[in-house]
Amino acid sequence: MIFFRDQHLSHDQHKSFGRLFGNLALHPASRHSPEGHPEILTIHADENSKHVAGEEWHSDVSCDANPPMGSILYLTEIPPAGGDTLFASMYAAYDRLSPPIQALIEGLTATHDGEPVYRGRFGYALPEKGFPLAEHPVVRTHPVTGRKALFVNGNFTTRINELSRLESDALLQMLCRHAETPEFQCRFRWQPDSVAFWDNRCVQHHAMWDYYPQRRHGYRVTIEGDKPFYQA
Amino acid sequence: MPYQTIEVTKLTPHIGAEIGGVDLSRPLGNQQFQEVHDALMENLVIFFRDQHLTHDQHKAFGRQFGTLAFHPTTRDAPDGHPEITPVHADENSTIVIGDQWHSDVSCDPTPPMGSILYMTETPPSGGDTLFASMYAAYDRLSDPIRQLIEGLTATHDGAFSYHRRFGHAIPEGGFPRADHPMVRTHPVTGRKALFVNENFTTQVNGLSKLESDALLKMLCRHLETPEFHCRFHWRPNSVAFWDNRCAQHHALWDYYPHRRHGYRIMIEGDKPFYRA
Repeated sequence: MIFFRDQHLSHDQHKSFGRLFGNLALHPASRHSPEGHPEILTIHADENSKHVAGEEWHSDVSCDANPPMGSILYLTEIPPAGGDTLFASMYAAYDRLSPPIQALIEGLTATHDGEPVYRGRFGYALPEKGFPLAEHPVVRTHPVTGRKALFVNGNFTTRINELSRLESDALLQMLCRHAETPEFQCRFRWQPDSVAFWDNRCVQHHAMWDYYPQRRHGYRVTIEGDKPFYQA
Repeated sequence: MPYQTIEVTKLTPHIGAEIGGVDLSRPLGNQQFQEVHDALMENLVIFFRDQHLTHDQHKAFGRQFGTLAFHPTTRDAPDGHPEITPVHADENSTIVIGDQWHSDVSCDPTPPMGSILYMTETPPSGGDTLFASMYAAYDRLSDPIRQLIEGLTATHDGAFSYHRRFGHAIPEGGFPRADHPMVRTHPVTGRKALFVNENFTTQVNGLSKLESDALLKMLCRHLETPEFHCRFHWRPNSVAFWDNRCAQHHALWDYYPHRRHGYRIMIEGDKPFYRA
């Protein structure tokens, strides 16, 4: 999770910066791309907004079989106060679980489903092939650092596959509550022309919408990632 | 299992049977004792109707199965019978014992093996007792959750129930408190049983408070699954004998302001253990 201040980026420059780290991904629910830039997701809220993207703890598009490795958000307009983003380390979340719970979840996989989020909450129509749905290990080994990270989130994770519904709900609720522990977090205060670049493989984030009816505006690109795996 | 000296009628496939052909006021013969014990092991809780027991006869029946235990909060035992706990509710009751799923006195380092409740007065309707098989509860958990809890112990705290819920003053040495395996191997049948209950179990040892609360809440919710249960409808002079090592029970208090009255004894048990 890194931040840059006072950046001035055209859409092409934003995409070029992203491409230094990998191929750019297309967001499954992106309806708001600037003309000629389908890789760019417009992030916008104002007095007409009924909801904003990212209001709940999540890792971007974790419902994808290959979720994006990282996301780069460039904000050009910010409200007079508020609109911070919380970021939480899923390394810390994993590390701070007790050894019995670590042992339990290291053997488990979970379903991440795009539909409840994209359709249920935001009202997008069901695309022809359906929204992405994937199974991922509950503990993910980071492909670069080799560290273990908790990889479930309240936004997309609907079920732990090896457990009964009752067991799964209890465990997911506990893990998501655990991931909210303030000690695992930082809180970024945006300025106009700030850029945040986060690693979705080991970080969750939560965009605060505490500034209604003020305006907040920016652009995001996401970088393709690999298939999550667990290595003991 | 063929029985020759008693009649056994199952209430459900997993738990509960009504036993006929026995007079509990008289000493059981060897074979009859063995068959009553077998029926208890097979059914986890057994019921007898139309029994007429003095306190001495009640205790004598219990002693055939072991030494009688004293309940840590009994204050109103009948004169000369400290092993007997009156079970009573009427229009003055503000709380009734056992109105939450539990295994009796699981906070003791050696919780009672069994309890024998003799009911002499029952309300016009209601006052049933639910019993739950902790074998079934264990068997129906998923493999990952079974593996998790087989390695864990939990704290059972008497103060949690007796003091905080029921308002008993804390005695000089404190209420019993013990750590027990979450999965208990039954010393007679060798079967595995879930051994946590919402009345006494306060913490899974080795887990954070958040993790422990989530796990205990889930397990206690799980054992409420109706398929693990039987429901016994009392009549005056009914007797229930349950095995605390593999059954939990829940006394329904749905009959206020009516009166329900009886007597309970408990039989000493061994220290819970887990064998893989």
